[in-house]
Amino acid sequence: MSHSDTIPLHPSSQSDIDEIENLINASPATVLPARPPSPPSGFGPAPNALTETVWDTVKRDLSRIISNLKLVVFPNPYREDPGKALRDWDLWGPFFFIVFLGLTLSWSASVKKSEVFAVAFGLLAAGAVILTLNVLLLGGHIIFFQSLSLLGYCLFPLDVGALICMLKDNVILKIVVVCVTLAWSSWAAYPFMSSAVNPRRKALALYPVFLMYVSVGFLIIAID
Amino acid sequence: MEDSYTGLPTSHLLGSVPAATNDENNTAKQEGDRGRGYHTLDNPPETFEQQSANNWRGVFSVSSYTQYFNVDTDVVIFRLISSFNPYGGDFFSKIDANPDLYGLIWVSTTLVFVLAALGNLATYLMQKHTGTSTSWSFDVGYMNVAACAIYGYAIVVPLAYYFFLQYMGSNASLIRFWCMWGYSLSIFIISSFLLLIPVEALRWLIIILTGIASASFVALNLKSCIEGNELSVAIVAAFFLQIALAVFIKVWFFA
Repeated sequence: MSHSDTIPLHPSSQSDIDEIENLINASPATVLPARPPSPPSGFGPAPNALTETVWDTVKRDLSRIISNLKLVVFPNPYREDPGKALRDWDLWGPFFFIVFLGLTLSWSASVKKSEVFAVAFGLLAAGAVILTLNVLLLGGHIIFFQSLSLLGYCLFPLDVGALICMLKDNVILKIVVVCVTLAWSSWAAYPFMSSAVNPRRKALALYPVFLMYVSVGFLIIAID
Repeated sequence: MEDSYTGLPTSHLLGSVPAATNDENNTAKQEGDRGRGYHTLDNPPETFEQQSANNWRGVFSVSSYTQYFNVDTDVVIFRLISSFNPYGGDFFSKIDANPDLYGLIWVSTTLVFVLAALGNLATYLMQKHTGTSTSWSFDVGYMNVAACAIYGYAIVVPLAYYFFLQYMGSNASLIRFWCMWGYSLSIFIISSFLLLIPVEALRWLIIILTGIASASFVALNLKSCIEGNELSVAIVAAFFLQIALAVFIKVWFFA
């Protein structure tokens, strides 16, 4: 490595990394910026996100997914207030749930597996975008990505239902499981969607959500 | 040309002296706004965008399309119910003030899903009834065919009629055509549930009746919209196109 265009600070420097390390080791008080104390969890991204371990990053994202899931899908006092419900929205959770549902349906299918995955993924992803646009077009007030995030998180019950249906192949059980999880998903999505639009148009905003979940539920039952 | 001058919202600019005719137009616009019910605050800029022909940025903003979705639940239900009546002929007068695209999008989407789901179920029931095979098989290709057929029909046919009528010189509104054709598909949703009955003759009877009802709805409304006898060929063509759609639904999904 030629050092003709750079002047090494230290006579024994082999590379730029070595130079920087020498600087850090030589005078830590003057070179390093003041390290802030590690913030309490949920306070925002950690300031040293580039140097933390991969497991720390994954753990942080996983904990955010789990906390968002608890807010959206399980009963809690913040559900009725959409401003608080999903303030720290993210799109990793919805992505995992949509892909998991597509994969589960694809595994359950005996023929045309890739087409089943394509239909499921396209239906859910395009459906979430179209449902959000529907609310916006009806004059409602929601944030686009927050709504995508919420509709993705509300798929969690259907994911559980699809997993159960994949493991146990009995029509009556499938119908019961899908009905229960469908009702759960609709219950999870209802307060957010209904509070976003004018009350005279509530049914117009909620019907497409119900239609999408019913069609996904039917896919879960019908895939053999 | 006068419209482009009087439509400029100059009253909010400090120091501007609006023309004397601006007041009537502004009050007229505000009357119309109050009459339309639920509104967001940024309405005047978006009407300015629509009036100006070279402002194409409105195409990509959601707010420029909200005028086509300005309906409440009871309005949509009223339009749906009036689409079941084939002899009315007055659908255009009902939607004239406020045509909506909500019906087109969600009626056709519901029909796509219903055809794909019930088509599979009906095939299974028919096979069980005739005793050929009793195993359930789900053909996901029904979803693709249903989507292409229904969305293609609902979007292309009104578009073709719009261009044809514009060419013939009579004034047509694309949004109203889309609205009418969209609501005309709603009767097929109900008939799809009836087509589950695995008796072949009954299925043909149901689909013929549904097709005639829907086609006469389309034809009578089209006739009330188009004046002039030389375009009656178009009305007859619309009638037969709707019947052809009904027959296609029966043959492909409920064979």
